[in-house]
Parts: sequence; C-alpha cells; structure tokens
Amino acid sequence: MDGIHDLGGKQGFGPIDVGEKEEPFHEAWEARLLGIVRGMSRVAPWSIDWFRHVRELIDPVDYLTRPYYDQWLQTYAAMMVNSGVATVDELASGKSAAAIADLPPPAPPSAVAGATGNMARFDRESTARSRFAVGDLVRTHVHAAPGHTRLPQYARGCRGTVTGFHGAHILPDASALGEERAEPLYTVAFAATELWPEARASRDRVYLDLWESYLEPA
Amino acid sequence: MAEDHNSHKIQAIHRELHSHLPPEPALRVKALESLLVEKGLLDPQTVDAWIEVFTEEIGPKRGATVVAKAWTDPAFKARLLADGTAAITELGFEGWASGHLKVVENTQEVHNLVVCTLCSCYPISILGVPPNWYKTAAYRARAVRDPRGVLAEFGETLPAEVEVRVWDSTSELRYMVLPQRPAGTDGWDEATLAGLVTRNAMIGTARDLTPRKEPG
Repeated sequence: MDGIHDLGGKQGFGPIDVGEKEEPFHEAWEARLLGIVRGMSRVAPWSIDWFRHVRELIDPVDYLTRPYYDQWLQTYAAMMVNSGVATVDELASGKSAAAIADLPPPAPPSAVAGATGNMARFDRESTARSRFAVGDLVRTHVHAAPGHTRLPQYARGCRGTVTGFHGAHILPDASALGEERAEPLYTVAFAATELWPEARASRDRVYLDLWESYLEPA
Repeated sequence: MAEDHNSHKIQAIHRELHSHLPPEPALRVKALESLLVEKGLLDPQTVDAWIEVFTEEIGPKRGATVVAKAWTDPAFKARLLADGTAAITELGFEGWASGHLKVVENTQEVHNLVVCTLCSCYPISILGVPPNWYKTAAYRARAVRDPRGVLAEFGETLPAEVEVRVWDSTSELRYMVLPQRPAGTDGWDEATLAGLVTRNAMIGTARDLTPRKEPG
C-alpha cells in the first residue's frame, strides 16, 4: 500500500536530533510497553508482517506524531481487538469484562533469561529455481501489492543489479494476509542516480532486499 | 482464536481506539498492563525482568565486543562477514531480530549506513533497542536520499571519493556496520578497543573512531 509509513526519500523533514541521550528508554512507560510486548502470552497467530501492516494502517496524522512505542501500543491493541482477545472498552478501562478460556499461565520472570537468545528465522527450504543470479540487471515493478509489501515507493520502476541471493524467505505480502509462502530473496543495488534526480554526479548506492515477485529482468 | 486480515476492519478499529483510549501514552500503557494481568496473559514481574535485560544486558556493548574481536582476530572477522548470525552466536549474542545478520565492512573507499525506511528494523540482540532518531520520519526519509547530509549532521564529512552504501532493511536481514580500526591502536587489547566503538559507528552515522588520547 502507498501508506504514510513509506517514508524513504520524502522531502521536507528537518534535522535529526543527534544530541539524543544514549540510554535505552527515555520514559518509564516506553520501557514498560517493551517489557509487556516481550512478556505477554500470544494467543492469536500474529506474524511480524501482520504487526507491520497493522502499524501501517494507523491514521497518517497519528503515525507521524505519536511516539514510537505508543504506536506499538496502538498496533497491539488493534490486533487484540481484531482477534477477539480484548474489546476497545476493556483496553480503555484496563478492566477485563470476560475471561479467556483454557489459558496456560503467563511466562514467569524466571523464563526471561532463557528467552533472550530466542531467534526467529524467516528462510524456508525450497526447491523452486531462482529466476535471477548475482550480477543480473533487474527492474522493480512500478506498482506494488495493494496490501502490505516491502517494495518502497522510491525504488519502484527502477533498474538495479543483483548483488546477493539469500535462498527462499517468507513473502511479507502473503504473510500479512495469513499465508506463509516462501520466495527467493535478493539484495539489489541501485545507483543513487537511478533513484534521485538531484544525485547527478554521485557514485553512492542504495541496497534493498527484494523478493522475486517484485522484480523483472531489465 | 479466529484471525482475519482485513485492512478496512483494522482502520476502523484504529479510529475507535483513537477516540476511546486514555489521552496520555503512560495511561494507555497502564490500562493495557492492568488488562493483560487481569486476563491472565501477563505477569508484571516478567515485564520488570525484560526491562532489566534491555537496560543491563542487551545493548551496544555487545556490538562493540563483536567489532573489537573482528579487529584483532582475522579468522573471526572472516566468519562474521560470511555469516553474522553464526559469528555472534559464538559469543552468546544471538536473539531478537538477529536471525539473519549481515555485517557490512567500512574501508578507505566505502562507507556503509543502515536505515529502515518502511518501519524501524534494527539488530536488537547486538545493539539493543534503537535510538529514537533512528525511528523518526526525518532519518527514515533522508538517509536513503541525502546520506551525506545526514552524516554531516552527525559530524562526519565524507570526501567525495568515498562511496556511500545505504542499506535499507526491507527484509528480515538485519545490518550492522563493521567500522574501520583507527590508526594508533596497535597492540591494544580487545577490551580497550571495544571502548572506542560507538553505537552510531555500528549504524554508520559515525565513521572516525580515532581515540582522543592514549588509554591509561
């Protein structure tokens, strides 16, 4: 989707706060929210792609103005309502109106030390032949999928060179619709001059990881 | 539980939440935590334990350890560049968002810069939680289009002959920059070298790690 989240190359944004204090959390509620997200039981099948898509669907004004972890809260709240884990009224009041049946107990603090090394992998075995090889010239599609996709607007309809192949990875566009489907994943390098009109003399490049269905031979 | 993936339904839920949730983020978080605890989905002491992990254990010191080891151990550096995830697992640093870690090396000719324009992907298990600026619209919008301008704001002016490579984290690959070992550090041990490595250098918004004075 052509959402507000797709920010690469958008102009008019001001300076970066380079003097930000180097500490993991600046507000107590931010730390609390991160801890909640890591510690809560997941009773619905929320994939990382579904999470990202639900965040992308936040009202554009809220997306640009609400703090980052507040957007996480909004996203988890929306997923919970959508899955029937909680109602809007329950999330507003903090009081439960109905219990969830047959729940295992929540993760105890003693489980945290053993969980910090948990690492999800997104590559999958595949016998499909990859269409492109390192060194190939490719062109990205001009239009992306109407729902979730990881082909940013600024790199659509552009010519690049395949510089890496990573096997088959779960396709986010399908995963955000609840389907797990793996597809060859490539790293593609784009010359800055291909992406930006003002980059006339630049030798700089931008690298993106792109799935096979985002690409055609150039 | 039943799960559908309807974008219009989610937009409607977002609007309802916007109108009904408490006005301050801190109050919204408090309500969420109370609800989850009451529903039996969360132990508040587990929240405390996770906060402690991200305050004390998982942070950029891990990345600095990795960099210093790569500077002093060529075999480790080769393994790190070939398979970042396997190499950090040797040090016990595997974890959240590092299942497909790709380490990109700065040289005299090349400078690398990491961004996620579509959300805020970041190699959390070796760099900790990302700084706010990394997640801002300004950084996400500008890093791919004006990387040299962004670097100048961070105090790094790159000569024109140095090629900038910007890595936009669009897949589950996560990127970390291996900065150059600064001159004048011959014979330094790993722990002292690690003290030179900043978080920003591993994102690519810093380049020159030359020490201001000799240690000790």
